Amino acid sequence: MDKIVYNSRFFMDKPCMRSFFGITILLKSVCDAANKDLHNALSNFNCLAIWYTIRMSYKIQLNIFEGPFDLLVYLIEKAEMSIYDIEISVITRQYLGHIRRLEESDVAVGSEFMVLAATLIEIKSQMLLPRITPAGETMEDPREGLSQKLAEYVRFKRAAAALETLREDAGHKLEKPQEDLQPFVGEPDIFLKMDMDRFIEAFRAFIYRRKKTEELQHMRRHIERERVSLETKIGAISELLRAAKNHVLKFGELLAKITDRYDKVVTFIALLDMAKSGQLIARQSQNFGEIEVENAEQG
Amino acid sequence: MQNRDRIKSAFESLLFVFGEPMDVRTAAAAVGIEKKEAQEIFRELARAYEERGSGIRIREIDGGFQFVTFEENYDYIRAITTPARERRLSQAALEVLAIIAYRQPVTKGEIDSIRGIKSDRVIEGLAAKELIEERGRSSAIGRPILYGTTGRFLAYFDLKDLGELPQLEDEELEEAIKSFGEYTAADEAAPAKTLAGQTELELL
Repeated sequence: MDKIVYNSRFFMDKPCMRSFFGITILLKSVCDAANKDLHNALSNFNCLAIWYTIRMSYKIQLNIFEGPFDLLVYLIEKAEMSIYDIEISVITRQYLGHIRRLEESDVAVGSEFMVLAATLIEIKSQMLLPRITPAGETMEDPREGLSQKLAEYVRFKRAAAALETLREDAGHKLEKPQEDLQPFVGEPDIFLKMDMDRFIEAFRAFIYRRKKTEELQHMRRHIERERVSLETKIGAISELLRAAKNHVLKFGELLAKITDRYDKVVTFIALLDMAKSGQLIARQSQNFGEIEVENAEQG
Repeated sequence: MQNRDRIKSAFESLLFVFGEPMDVRTAAAAVGIEKKEAQEIFRELARAYEERGSGIRIREIDGGFQFVTFEENYDYIRAITTPARERRLSQAALEVLAIIAYRQPVTKGEIDSIRGIKSDRVIEGLAAKELIEERGRSSAIGRPILYGTTGRFLAYFDLKDLGELPQLEDEELEEAIKSFGEYTAADEAAPAKTLAGQTELELL
Protein backbone atom coordinates (compact mmCIF):
# COMPACT_ATOMS: atom_id res chain seq x y z
CA MET A 1 0.00 0.00 0.00
CA ASP A 2 1.05 3.56 -0.60
CA LYS A 3 3.09 5.55 1.76
CA ILE A 4 0.70 6.75 4.32
CA VAL A 5 0.17 9.37 6.77
CA TYR A 6 1.48 10.65 10.00
CA ASN A 7 0.27 12.87 12.80
CA SER A 8 -2.76 10.76 13.18
CA ARG A 9 -2.94 8.25 15.88
CA PHE A 10 -4.26 4.83 15.71
CA PHE A 11 -5.08 3.38 19.04
CA MET A 12 -5.81 -0.17 19.91
CA ASP A 13 -7.23 -1.05 23.20
CA LYS A 14 -7.72 -4.53 24.49
CA PRO A 15 -9.75 -4.05 27.61
CA CYS A 16 -9.28 -7.52 29.09
CA MET A 17 -5.52 -7.16 29.17
CA ARG A 18 -5.72 -3.50 30.03
CA SER A 19 -3.04 -3.08 27.48
CA PHE A 20 -2.97 -0.20 25.18
CA PHE A 21 -0.53 0.68 22.52
CA GLY A 22 -0.47 3.49 20.07
CA ILE A 23 0.50 3.12 16.52
CA THR A 24 1.37 6.12 14.51
CA ILE A 25 0.24 5.87 11.01
CA LEU A 26 1.30 8.17 8.29
CA LEU A 27 -2.00 9.74 7.38
CA LYS A 28 -0.89 13.27 6.72
CA SER A 29 1.27 12.58 3.71
CA VAL A 30 -1.70 10.98 2.05
CA CYS A 31 -3.56 14.23 2.44
CA ASP A 32 -0.48 15.96 1.09
CA ALA A 33 -0.20 13.70 -1.91
CA ALA A 34 -3.77 14.21 -2.97
CA ASN A 35 -6.79 14.83 -0.87
CA LYS A 36 -8.81 12.15 -2.61
CA ASP A 37 -6.45 9.53 -1.29
CA LEU A 38 -7.65 10.08 2.22
CA HIS A 39 -10.71 8.07 1.45
CA ASN A 40 -8.61 5.15 0.26
CA ALA A 41 -6.39 5.37 3.28
CA LEU A 42 -9.36 5.24 5.57
CA SER A 43 -10.81 2.21 3.88
CA ASN A 44 -7.46 0.51 4.31
CA PHE A 45 -7.65 1.30 7.98
CA ASN A 46 -11.05 -0.25 8.07
CA CYS A 47 -9.65 -3.52 6.67
CA LEU A 48 -6.97 -3.43 9.28
CA ALA A 49 -9.50 -2.70 11.96
CA ILE A 50 -11.61 -5.63 10.90
CA TRP A 51 -8.56 -7.89 10.81
CA TYR A 52 -7.70 -6.94 14.36
CA THR A 53 -11.27 -7.28 15.46
CA ILE A 54 -11.41 -10.84 14.21
CA ARG A 55 -7.98 -11.84 15.40
CA MET A 56 -7.83 -10.27 18.80
CA SER A 57 -11.09 -8.45 19.46
CA TYR A 58 -9.40 -5.09 19.60
CA LYS A 59 -11.35 -1.91 19.98
CA ILE A 60 -10.16 0.60 17.48
CA GLN A 61 -10.30 4.33 17.74
CA LEU A 62 -9.07 6.62 15.04
CA ASN A 63 -8.19 10.18 15.84
CA ILE A 64 -7.05 12.20 12.94
CA PHE A 65 -6.64 15.58 14.53
CA GLU A 66 -6.47 16.47 18.18
CA GLY A 67 -9.18 19.07 17.73
CA PRO A 68 -10.45 21.79 15.42
CA PHE A 69 -7.46 24.04 16.16
CA ASP A 70 -5.10 21.22 15.28
CA LEU A 71 -6.77 20.83 11.90
CA LEU A 72 -6.90 24.57 11.25
CA VAL A 73 -3.25 25.09 12.19
CA TYR A 74 -2.32 22.18 9.95
CA LEU A 75 -4.15 23.78 7.02
CA ILE A 76 -2.60 27.20 7.62
CA GLU A 77 0.81 25.62 7.98
CA LYS A 78 0.39 23.65 4.78
CA ALA A 79 -0.72 26.75 2.90
CA GLU A 80 2.33 28.54 4.33
CA MET A 81 0.23 31.43 5.57
CA SER A 82 0.74 33.50 8.65
CA ILE A 83 -1.47 32.90 11.65
CA TYR A 84 -1.82 36.69 11.92
CA ASP A 85 -2.84 37.03 8.29
CA ILE A 86 -5.10 34.11 7.43
CA GLU A 87 -6.70 34.09 4.01
CA ILE A 88 -10.06 33.29 5.47
CA SER A 89 -11.91 32.33 2.29
CA VAL A 90 -9.22 29.83 1.23
CA ILE A 91 -8.86 28.28 4.67
CA THR A 92 -12.61 28.12 5.30
CA ARG A 93 -13.10 26.26 2.04
CA GLN A 94 -10.34 23.77 2.87
CA TYR A 95 -11.59 23.33 6.43
CA LEU A 96 -15.15 22.62 5.38
CA GLY A 97 -13.90 20.30 2.63
CA HIS A 98 -11.91 18.36 5.17
CA ILE A 99 -14.86 17.94 7.48
CA ARG A 100 -17.06 16.86 4.60
CA ARG A 101 -14.56 14.21 3.54
CA LEU A 102 -14.31 12.92 7.08
CA GLU A 103 -18.07 12.64 7.26
CA GLU A 104 -18.17 10.82 3.92
CA SER A 105 -15.73 8.32 5.37
CA ASP A 106 -18.08 7.80 8.29
CA VAL A 107 -15.74 9.39 10.78
CA ALA A 108 -17.76 11.03 13.52
CA VAL A 109 -16.93 14.71 13.52
CA GLY A 110 -17.16 16.31 16.93
CA SER A 111 -19.35 19.31 17.55
CA GLU A 112 -16.21 21.34 18.34
CA PHE A 113 -15.26 21.08 14.67
CA MET A 114 -18.65 22.50 13.73
CA VAL A 115 -18.31 25.40 16.16
CA LEU A 116 -15.06 26.42 14.53
CA ALA A 117 -16.62 25.99 11.07
CA ALA A 118 -19.33 28.43 12.12
CA THR A 119 -16.74 30.85 13.49
CA LEU A 120 -14.81 30.72 10.21
CA ILE A 121 -17.93 31.43 8.19
CA GLU A 122 -18.85 34.29 10.48
CA ILE A 123 -15.39 35.83 10.10
CA LYS A 124 -15.55 35.32 6.37
CA SER A 125 -18.83 37.24 6.16
CA GLN A 126 -17.47 40.02 8.37
CA MET A 127 -14.48 40.34 6.07
CA LEU A 128 -16.86 41.30 3.26
CA LEU A 129 -18.08 44.34 5.14
CA PRO A 130 -16.15 47.61 5.15
CA ARG A 131 -14.16 47.95 8.32
CA ILE A 132 -14.43 51.68 8.70
CA THR A 133 -17.02 53.21 10.98
CA PRO A 134 -19.13 56.11 9.71
CA ALA A 135 -16.90 58.30 11.87
CA GLY A 136 -13.91 57.18 9.83
CA GLU A 137 -12.25 54.97 12.48
CA THR A 138 -10.85 51.60 11.50
CA MET A 139 -12.51 48.66 13.24
CA GLU A 140 -10.74 45.67 14.67
CA ASP A 141 -9.78 42.94 12.20
CA PRO A 142 -12.43 40.21 12.60
CA ARG A 143 -9.65 37.59 12.44
CA GLU A 144 -7.90 39.08 15.46
CA GLY A 145 -9.50 36.87 18.13
CA LEU A 146 -9.01 33.67 16.18
CA SER A 147 -5.37 34.51 15.41
CA GLN A 148 -4.63 35.06 19.08
CA LYS A 149 -6.21 31.75 20.00
CA LEU A 150 -4.37 29.84 17.29
CA ALA A 151 -1.04 31.42 18.22
CA GLU A 152 -1.64 30.38 21.82
CA TYR A 153 -2.52 26.86 20.72
CA VAL A 154 0.62 26.60 18.59
CA ARG A 155 2.74 27.68 21.57
CA PHE A 156 1.33 24.89 23.71
CA LYS A 157 1.54 22.38 20.90
CA ARG A 158 5.23 23.20 20.67
CA ALA A 159 5.55 22.95 24.46
CA ALA A 160 3.90 19.51 24.30
CA ALA A 161 6.50 18.40 21.78
CA ALA A 162 9.24 19.76 24.05
CA LEU A 163 7.81 17.75 26.96
CA GLU A 164 7.84 14.64 24.82
CA THR A 165 11.54 15.12 24.08
CA LEU A 166 12.25 15.74 27.76
CA ARG A 167 10.48 12.53 28.64
CA GLU A 168 12.52 10.58 26.14
CA ASP A 169 15.69 11.52 27.99
CA ALA A 170 14.13 11.28 31.43
CA GLY A 171 12.98 7.75 30.63
CA HIS A 172 16.62 6.71 30.48
CA LYS A 173 17.03 7.34 34.17
CA LEU A 174 15.47 4.59 36.19
CA GLU A 175 14.33 4.91 39.77
CA LYS A 176 14.54 2.33 42.45
CA PRO A 177 11.38 1.29 44.28
CA GLN A 178 11.17 2.00 47.96
CA GLU A 179 12.44 -0.67 50.34
CA ASP A 180 9.76 -2.55 52.20
CA LEU A 181 9.25 -0.33 55.22
CA GLN A 182 6.15 -2.13 56.42
CA PRO A 183 7.82 -3.79 59.46
CA PHE A 184 8.82 -0.34 60.73
CA VAL A 185 5.48 1.38 60.55
CA GLY A 186 2.21 0.91 62.41
CA GLU A 187 1.45 0.43 66.06
CA PRO A 188 4.10 -1.19 68.22
CA ASP A 189 2.95 -3.95 70.60
CA ILE A 190 2.10 -2.76 74.10
CA PHE A 191 3.43 -4.75 77.03
CA LEU A 192 1.74 -4.46 80.42
CA LYS A 193 3.54 -5.37 83.57
CA MET A 194 1.23 -7.67 85.52
CA ASP A 195 1.52 -10.50 88.02
CA MET A 196 -0.34 -13.77 87.57
CA ASP A 197 -3.04 -13.04 90.19
CA ARG A 198 -3.98 -9.71 88.72
CA PHE A 199 -4.05 -11.22 85.28
CA ILE A 200 -6.43 -14.00 86.39
CA GLU A 201 -8.59 -11.43 88.11
CA ALA A 202 -8.78 -9.28 85.01
CA PHE A 203 -9.61 -12.27 82.87
CA ARG A 204 -12.42 -13.34 85.21
CA ALA A 205 -13.87 -9.86 85.16
CA PHE A 206 -13.82 -9.95 81.41
CA ILE A 207 -15.61 -13.33 81.30
CA TYR A 208 -18.19 -12.09 83.80
CA ARG A 209 -18.96 -8.96 81.77
CA ARG A 210 -19.24 -11.00 78.64
CA LYS A 211 -21.72 -13.37 80.28
CA LYS A 212 -23.80 -10.49 81.62
CA THR A 213 -24.12 -8.83 78.25
CA GLU A 214 -25.13 -12.10 76.66
CA GLU A 215 -27.87 -12.56 79.29
CA LEU A 216 -29.11 -9.04 78.73
CA GLN A 217 -29.19 -9.52 75.00
CA HIS A 218 -31.43 -12.55 75.54
CA MET A 219 -33.89 -10.61 77.61
CA ARG A 220 -33.94 -7.58 75.39
CA ARG A 221 -36.41 -7.58 72.60
CA HIS A 222 -35.81 -5.58 69.58
CA ILE A 223 -38.51 -3.08 68.86
CA GLU A 224 -38.35 -0.84 65.89
CA ARG A 225 -40.99 1.41 64.55
CA GLU A 226 -42.32 0.41 61.22
CA ARG A 227 -40.87 2.63 58.59
CA VAL A 228 -43.27 4.51 56.39
CA SER A 229 -42.97 3.99 52.68
CA LEU A 230 -43.12 6.86 50.25
CA GLU A 231 -46.33 5.54 48.71
CA THR A 232 -48.09 5.35 52.09
CA LYS A 233 -46.93 8.84 52.91
CA ILE A 234 -48.26 10.22 49.64
CA GLY A 235 -51.60 8.55 50.38
CA ALA A 236 -51.67 10.00 53.88
CA ILE A 237 -50.85 13.49 52.69
CA SER A 238 -53.51 13.51 49.99
CA GLU A 239 -56.03 12.35 52.59
CA LEU A 240 -54.98 15.15 54.94
CA LEU A 241 -55.28 17.65 52.09
CA ARG A 242 -58.74 16.45 51.20
CA ALA A 243 -59.85 16.76 54.81
CA ALA A 244 -58.28 20.21 55.26
CA LYS A 245 -60.15 23.47 54.93
CA ASN A 246 -60.02 24.69 51.30
CA HIS A 247 -57.72 21.75 50.67
CA VAL A 248 -54.80 23.89 51.81
CA LEU A 249 -52.20 22.89 54.40
CA LYS A 250 -49.18 24.65 55.77
CA PHE A 251 -45.85 22.89 55.35
CA GLY A 252 -45.03 23.57 58.98
CA GLU A 253 -48.25 21.90 60.11
CA LEU A 254 -47.42 18.79 58.17
CA LEU A 255 -44.08 18.46 59.92
CA ALA A 256 -45.11 19.73 63.34
CA LYS A 257 -46.23 16.44 64.79
CA ILE A 258 -43.39 14.40 63.35
CA THR A 259 -40.41 13.81 65.61
CA ASP A 260 -38.66 11.07 63.68
CA ARG A 261 -36.06 12.41 61.27
CA TYR A 262 -36.67 9.63 58.76
CA ASP A 263 -40.37 10.42 58.76
CA LYS A 264 -39.65 14.10 58.14
CA VAL A 265 -37.49 13.29 55.16
CA VAL A 266 -40.11 10.94 53.71
CA THR A 267 -42.78 13.63 54.13
CA PHE A 268 -40.63 16.15 52.32
CA ILE A 269 -39.83 13.75 49.48
CA ALA A 270 -43.50 12.81 49.24
CA LEU A 271 -44.40 16.50 48.83
CA LEU A 272 -41.75 16.95 46.14
CA ASP A 273 -43.00 13.87 44.37
CA MET A 274 -46.61 15.01 44.50
CA ALA A 275 -45.65 18.46 43.24
CA LYS A 276 -43.76 16.85 40.39
CA SER A 277 -46.65 14.63 39.39
CA GLY A 278 -49.04 17.57 39.65
CA GLN A 279 -51.06 16.27 42.58
CA LEU A 280 -50.43 19.39 44.57
CA ILE A 281 -49.31 22.96 44.15
CA ALA A 282 -46.76 24.45 46.53
CA ARG A 283 -46.71 28.18 47.14
CA GLN A 284 -44.34 30.40 49.03
CA SER A 285 -45.11 34.11 49.15
CA GLN A 286 -41.66 35.26 50.26
CA ASN A 287 -38.16 33.94 50.89
CA PHE A 288 -38.03 31.69 53.95
CA GLY A 289 -41.76 32.25 54.37
CA GLU A 290 -44.33 29.56 55.12
CA ILE A 291 -44.94 27.13 52.29
CA GLU A 292 -48.55 26.32 51.56
CA VAL A 293 -49.54 23.21 49.74
CA GLU A 294 -52.80 22.91 47.93
CA ASN A 295 -54.52 19.90 46.53
CA ALA A 296 -54.30 20.35 42.77
CA GLU A 297 -56.81 17.65 41.87
CA GLN A 298 -59.60 19.37 43.73
CA GLY A 299 -58.76 22.94 42.70
CA MET B 1 25.70 13.34 64.84
CA GLN B 2 28.58 15.70 64.23
CA ASN B 3 30.94 14.35 61.65
CA ARG B 4 30.10 15.51 58.13
CA ASP B 5 31.28 12.27 56.54
CA ARG B 6 29.15 10.34 58.98
CA ILE B 7 26.09 12.38 57.96
CA LYS B 8 26.91 11.92 54.30
CA SER B 9 27.05 8.18 54.85
CA ALA B 10 23.71 8.28 56.67
CA PHE B 11 22.11 10.24 53.82
CA GLU B 12 23.37 7.68 51.34
CA SER B 13 21.60 4.94 53.30
CA LEU B 14 18.46 7.02 53.51
CA LEU B 15 18.40 7.53 49.76
CA PHE B 16 18.88 3.80 49.22
CA VAL B 17 15.99 2.84 51.47
CA PHE B 18 13.67 5.60 50.35
CA GLY B 19 13.83 5.10 46.60
CA GLU B 20 11.43 7.97 45.96
CA PRO B 21 12.71 11.55 46.14
CA MET B 22 13.77 12.17 49.74
CA ASP B 23 12.72 15.53 51.09
CA VAL B 24 15.73 17.47 52.37
CA ARG B 25 13.81 18.66 55.42
CA THR B 26 12.99 15.08 56.47
CA ALA B 27 16.59 13.96 56.06
CA ALA B 28 17.88 17.01 57.96
CA ALA B 29 15.52 16.31 60.84
CA ALA B 30 16.61 12.66 60.95
CA VAL B 31 20.21 13.58 61.67
CA GLY B 32 19.46 16.81 63.51
CA ILE B 33 21.00 19.45 61.26
CA GLU B 34 19.75 22.52 59.41
CA LYS B 35 17.98 22.10 56.09
CA LYS B 36 20.50 24.25 54.26
CA GLU B 37 23.43 22.21 55.50
CA ALA B 38 21.65 18.99 54.60
CA GLN B 39 21.14 20.26 51.08
CA GLU B 40 24.84 21.05 50.76
CA ILE B 41 25.75 17.57 51.96
CA PHE B 42 23.33 15.98 49.50
CA ARG B 43 24.86 17.99 46.67
CA GLU B 44 28.37 16.98 47.75
CA LEU B 45 27.26 13.37 47.78
CA ALA B 46 25.75 13.76 44.30
CA ARG B 47 28.99 15.27 43.02
CA ALA B 48 31.00 12.41 44.52
CA TYR B 49 28.90 9.91 42.57
CA GLU B 50 29.44 11.85 39.38
CA GLU B 51 33.19 12.23 39.86
CA ARG B 52 33.51 8.54 40.53
CA GLY B 53 31.71 7.81 37.24
CA SER B 54 29.21 5.72 39.13
CA GLY B 55 26.37 3.87 37.45
CA ILE B 56 24.09 5.28 40.10
CA ARG B 57 23.50 9.00 40.25
CA ILE B 58 21.70 11.30 42.66
CA ARG B 59 19.28 13.75 41.14
CA GLU B 60 17.57 16.73 42.67
CA ILE B 61 13.81 16.77 42.23
CA ASP B 62 11.32 19.16 43.77
CA GLY B 63 13.46 20.02 46.81
CA GLY B 64 14.46 16.41 47.37
CA PHE B 65 17.10 13.94 46.26
CA GLN B 66 16.81 10.54 44.67
CA PHE B 67 18.95 7.67 43.41
CA VAL B 68 18.59 7.01 39.68
CA THR B 69 20.57 4.97 37.20
CA PHE B 70 23.11 6.75 34.99
CA GLU B 71 21.27 7.62 31.80
CA GLU B 72 24.07 6.46 29.51
CA ASN B 73 23.68 2.93 30.85
CA TYR B 74 20.09 2.75 29.65
CA ASP B 75 20.91 0.58 26.64
CA TYR B 76 22.54 -2.06 28.86
CA ILE B 77 19.56 -2.09 31.18
CA ARG B 78 17.33 -2.58 28.18
CA ALA B 79 19.50 -5.48 27.01
CA ILE B 80 18.60 -7.53 30.08
CA THR B 81 14.89 -6.73 29.99
CA THR B 82 12.25 -8.06 27.68
CA PRO B 83 11.64 -5.31 25.18
CA ALA B 84 8.59 -3.95 26.90
CA ARG B 85 7.74 -0.55 25.53
CA GLU B 86 6.77 2.24 27.76
CA ARG B 87 3.23 3.44 27.45
CA ARG B 88 3.68 6.89 26.07
CA LEU B 89 1.50 9.85 26.71
CA SER B 90 -0.82 10.63 23.83
CA GLN B 91 -0.56 13.88 21.92
CA ALA B 92 -3.69 15.13 23.63
CA ALA B 93 -2.30 14.24 27.05
CA LEU B 94 0.95 16.09 26.32
CA GLU B 95 -0.97 19.17 25.17
CA VAL B 96 -3.10 19.25 28.30
CA LEU B 97 -0.07 18.61 30.48
CA ALA B 98 1.84 21.45 28.82
CA ILE B 99 -1.06 23.86 29.39
CA ILE B 100 -1.32 22.85 33.04
CA ALA B 101 2.44 23.04 33.56
CA TYR B 102 2.78 26.57 32.20
CA ARG B 103 -0.53 28.02 33.34
CA GLN B 104 -1.03 26.41 36.73
CA PRO B 105 -3.23 26.67 38.67
CA VAL B 106 -5.65 26.43 35.76
CA THR B 107 -9.29 25.38 35.34
CA LYS B 108 -10.66 22.83 32.89
CA GLY B 109 -12.51 25.62 31.09
CA GLU B 110 -9.27 27.47 30.37
CA ILE B 111 -7.64 24.26 29.10
CA ASP B 112 -10.60 23.52 26.83
CA SER B 113 -10.55 27.06 25.52
CA ILE B 114 -6.86 26.89 24.55
CA ARG B 115 -7.21 23.48 22.88
CA GLY B 116 -10.60 24.20 21.30
CA ILE B 117 -11.85 20.81 22.43
CA LYS B 118 -13.07 19.14 25.64
CA SER B 119 -10.31 17.66 27.76
CA ASP B 120 -12.24 15.91 30.54
CA ARG B 121 -11.01 12.39 29.88
CA VAL B 122 -7.44 13.46 29.30
CA ILE B 123 -7.44 15.30 32.62
CA GLU B 124 -8.81 12.22 34.38
CA GLY B 125 -6.08 10.09 32.85
CA LEU B 126 -3.33 12.48 33.87
CA ALA B 127 -4.69 12.66 37.41
CA ALA B 128 -4.77 8.84 37.56
CA LYS B 129 -1.10 8.82 36.53
CA GLU B 130 -0.47 11.33 39.35
CA LEU B 131 1.11 13.80 36.96
CA ILE B 132 -1.47 16.44 37.87
CA GLU B 133 -3.53 17.12 40.97
CA GLU B 134 -6.38 19.30 42.13
CA ARG B 135 -5.32 22.60 43.66
CA GLY B 136 -8.47 23.85 45.28
CA ARG B 137 -11.12 25.84 43.48
CA SER B 138 -11.18 29.05 41.52
CA SER B 139 -13.25 31.92 42.88
CA ALA B 140 -14.90 32.26 39.45
CA ILE B 141 -18.56 31.39 38.90
CA GLY B 142 -19.27 27.74 39.58
CA ARG B 143 -16.07 27.47 41.63
CA PRO B 144 -14.30 25.27 39.06
CA ILE B 145 -11.49 22.97 40.16
CA LEU B 146 -7.96 24.24 39.65
CA TYR B 147 -5.26 21.88 38.42
CA GLY B 148 -1.50 21.89 38.92
CA THR B 149 1.41 19.56 38.31
CA THR B 150 2.79 17.17 40.94
CA GLY B 151 6.23 16.13 42.17
CA ARG B 152 5.71 13.02 40.06
CA PHE B 153 5.46 15.30 37.03
CA LEU B 154 8.90 16.76 37.76
CA ALA B 155 10.41 13.30 38.18
CA TYR B 156 8.67 12.06 35.02
CA PHE B 157 10.31 14.78 32.93
CA ASP B 158 13.50 14.91 35.01
CA LEU B 159 13.06 18.54 36.03
CA LYS B 160 14.60 19.94 39.20
CA ASP B 161 11.73 22.38 39.53
CA LEU B 162 9.18 24.16 37.34
CA GLY B 163 11.76 26.84 36.51
CA GLU B 164 13.51 24.23 34.37
CA LEU B 165 10.58 23.97 31.96
CA PRO B 166 11.58 25.04 28.47
CA GLN B 167 10.56 28.57 27.47
CA LEU B 168 7.00 28.75 26.25
CA GLU B 169 7.53 31.68 23.95
CA ASP B 170 10.74 32.01 22.00
CA GLU B 171 11.57 34.24 19.07
CA GLU B 172 11.94 31.41 16.64
CA LEU B 173 8.43 30.18 17.37
CA GLU B 174 6.92 33.66 17.23
CA GLU B 175 8.54 34.12 13.82
CA ALA B 176 7.11 30.79 12.75
CA ILE B 177 3.63 31.83 13.80
CA LYS B 178 3.99 34.95 11.69
CA SER B 179 5.06 33.04 8.66
CA PHE B 180 4.57 29.33 8.39
CA GLY B 181 6.62 29.03 5.21
CA GLU B 182 9.93 28.88 7.05
CA TYR B 183 8.51 27.11 10.05
CA THR B 184 7.39 24.08 8.08
CA ALA B 185 10.90 23.48 6.82
CA ALA B 186 12.37 23.68 10.30
CA ASP B 187 9.67 21.48 11.72
CA GLU B 188 10.15 18.66 9.24
CA ALA B 189 12.86 17.04 11.34
CA ALA B 190 10.72 16.70 14.45
CA PRO B 191 8.32 13.94 13.30
CA ALA B 192 11.12 11.38 12.84
CA LYS B 193 11.90 11.83 16.48
CA THR B 194 8.33 11.27 17.56
CA LEU B 195 8.12 8.13 15.53
CA ALA B 196 11.34 6.55 16.70
CA GLY B 197 10.24 5.08 19.99
CA GLN B 198 6.78 4.10 18.94
CA THR B 199 5.52 0.79 17.79
CA GLU B 200 5.24 0.84 14.06
CA LEU B 201 2.88 -1.41 12.27
CA GLU B 202 3.76 -3.01 9.01
CA LEU B 203 0.91 -2.37 6.66
CA LEU B 204 0.26 -5.07 4.16
